[in-house]
Amino acid sequence: MIEITPFLKKMLSLPGLSGYETPIRDLIAETWRPLVNELAVSRLGSLHGLRRGEGADPRPRLLISAHMDAIGLMVTGIVEGFLRITQIGGVDDRILPGQPVVVHGRQVLPGVVVKPPDYLLPPNKATRTVPLQYLLVDVGFPPEEVNQLVRPGDLISFGQEPFELSGEALAGHSLDNRASVAALTVCLDELQHLRHTWDLWAVATVQEEETLGGAFTSPFEIQPHLVVAVDVTFAKGPGSNDHNTFPLGKGITLGWGPNIHPALFNAFKDLAERLEIPFTMEAMPRHSGTDAYAMQVIASGYPSMVVSIPLRYMHTPVEMVSLKDIYRAGRILAEFIARLEPDFLKKFTWED
Amino acid sequence: MKNLIQKLVESIGPSGYESAVREIVRDEVAPFAEEIRIDALGNLIVRKGSKTKSGMRLMLAAHLDEIGLIATHIDENGFIRFSTLGGVRPNNCPGGRVRFMNGVEGVIGIERLENPDRPFSIEQLYIDVGAASRQDCPIKVGEVAAFYRPMLDLGGRIAAKSMDDRIGVAVLVESLRQLKKTPHEIYFVFSVQEEVGLRGATTAAFALDPDLGLAVDVTLTGDTPKGVKMEVALGKGPAIKVRDGKMLSDPRLVQYLIETAEKAKGPYQLEILEGGTTDASVIQITRAGIPSGCISIPCRYVHSPSEMVDYNDVQNAVKLLVTVLSNPIHLG
Repeated sequence: MIEITPFLKKMLSLPGLSGYETPIRDLIAETWRPLVNELAVSRLGSLHGLRRGEGADPRPRLLISAHMDAIGLMVTGIVEGFLRITQIGGVDDRILPGQPVVVHGRQVLPGVVVKPPDYLLPPNKATRTVPLQYLLVDVGFPPEEVNQLVRPGDLISFGQEPFELSGEALAGHSLDNRASVAALTVCLDELQHLRHTWDLWAVATVQEEETLGGAFTSPFEIQPHLVVAVDVTFAKGPGSNDHNTFPLGKGITLGWGPNIHPALFNAFKDLAERLEIPFTMEAMPRHSGTDAYAMQVIASGYPSMVVSIPLRYMHTPVEMVSLKDIYRAGRILAEFIARLEPDFLKKFTWED
Repeated sequence: MKNLIQKLVESIGPSGYESAVREIVRDEVAPFAEEIRIDALGNLIVRKGSKTKSGMRLMLAAHLDEIGLIATHIDENGFIRFSTLGGVRPNNCPGGRVRFMNGVEGVIGIERLENPDRPFSIEQLYIDVGAASRQDCPIKVGEVAAFYRPMLDLGGRIAAKSMDDRIGVAVLVESLRQLKKTPHEIYFVFSVQEEVGLRGATTAAFALDPDLGLAVDVTLTGDTPKGVKMEVALGKGPAIKVRDGKMLSDPRLVQYLIETAEKAKGPYQLEILEGGTTDASVIQITRAGIPSGCISIPCRYVHSPSEMVDYNDVQNAVKLLVTVLSNPIHLG
């Protein structure tokens, strides 16, 4: 049994911003190695784990992706020892001032995001949320030393340590989408005592937050028959509306829309009902905002599905999830794989 | 090299209509190429070298096309309404001179603005080719044009329309000329339709299936009065792209380019471009993924009829590229 909470907390403490996933990939690889038959790294850096099925060769292949990259900041310039910044992925700049960060320069430097006083800002920017372009990072050193240690293009990751809250909730940065990597790990762990005929490719993708780069490329290499993306979705929180947010800790969501194959949705829905795993249907009218959007149209196209874990305070350093939902997502994935019959694809028609 | 640049920037080749530029480039590269072909979309693909044990299959990309205009309506008085091919900005248009593919030239006029303080749109502009009526107008709906004006040689710096990306084309041509020996199988791709969605490079990369992709294109600078906040400046060397609006360069390739530039004692800058992208972004996500990056030529006033580059930056970009292509490439 893998201890998921410590693994997840360890993941949240590591950098691994979009395009620079090496540190997080190494940890996931180490954790997955005993759970899979083969591990490989794609040319863009996605981690491919293969669990062979027991079916006759050639076996059909299921690809499940969870992106491992995280949002963060990047140095764009240095002004009198302070770092000008831009975002990697979509950072919620309303809550950046005052956040502790880690600057990955020639050496690792703790820093803090600072907001110039109102009187130094353009009049229309004062007294309100300060756009990212006016925020700075202060690492404490005098300008000469900063100039030696930091250069444009250096990464800045969030500095908060993850922490557990009451009610099996966990808060931290990068829970989008390491909560889903944890769920996929739960799935691999459950499969240790389940038999399955299909091959499973567990894929921790890169660059989802910027370009969907991993999702565009890994399916081309693996050539699966079905694809599932695991990601986070918006949980209900203070002031959020009712119609496109989902309760935290009350179950997963199953995506529905043009990015999802209806027969695959139905298979997951039936399974969730049979296993009494609580879920909500999540309408995804356009871009699902997940790897599935890219994976669906690679090569000659793949039937795709999205399974999501509700998360509050998306793209802030205090994202929050319920551990229960992570286990639920992992369990339904494992049970889905275990129940995939060799001829599942034959029954998989648009007439359904 | 200035003669080559002048020839390239004074020819016309809006997206999808690159033939004239492609012919110039084909003639320039012919003596140095081991293989030349033109693919289904019109990309000019030039090979030099064969893959040795220590070599890679490389795709270099610089786009032939430039932003342009397309006639959408001719009114009864012979004025031509137009739409854009690529990112033409309305405020760069009034008073500009354009040339259609058939050689007809004209000027861009603007309707009287109800409120001069409000920004105006392309719909409020028209082209006047001196025609007196629709019948008299030598241009039909669907004909395309580009900005037209001669290159301006300011000594250290040069300005012209379509520096984006004829300067990249010039860097590739000159690098091919100077390249003596290479361990790599190099494809110099002079791509089409970059300005309308990176379309040429998309298919060329699929066809070539390279081990590594490198674009040569222009980037913005932060060195003009109240310009964008950006570290890149004219004259400080070619820029090694760390990221742009649609791509995170492969960090191993960025590091390799930095080390190569430092070893060769050539100037370089690091580029973080917050909007816009290059052919490299689509090469990167081709097939199972291709490590990719970009060497950028710093350029002021991009997408205006007077794009300005520094000649030293151009020459140093050639130096850097030739060094990269002459040696085995190690990605850490």
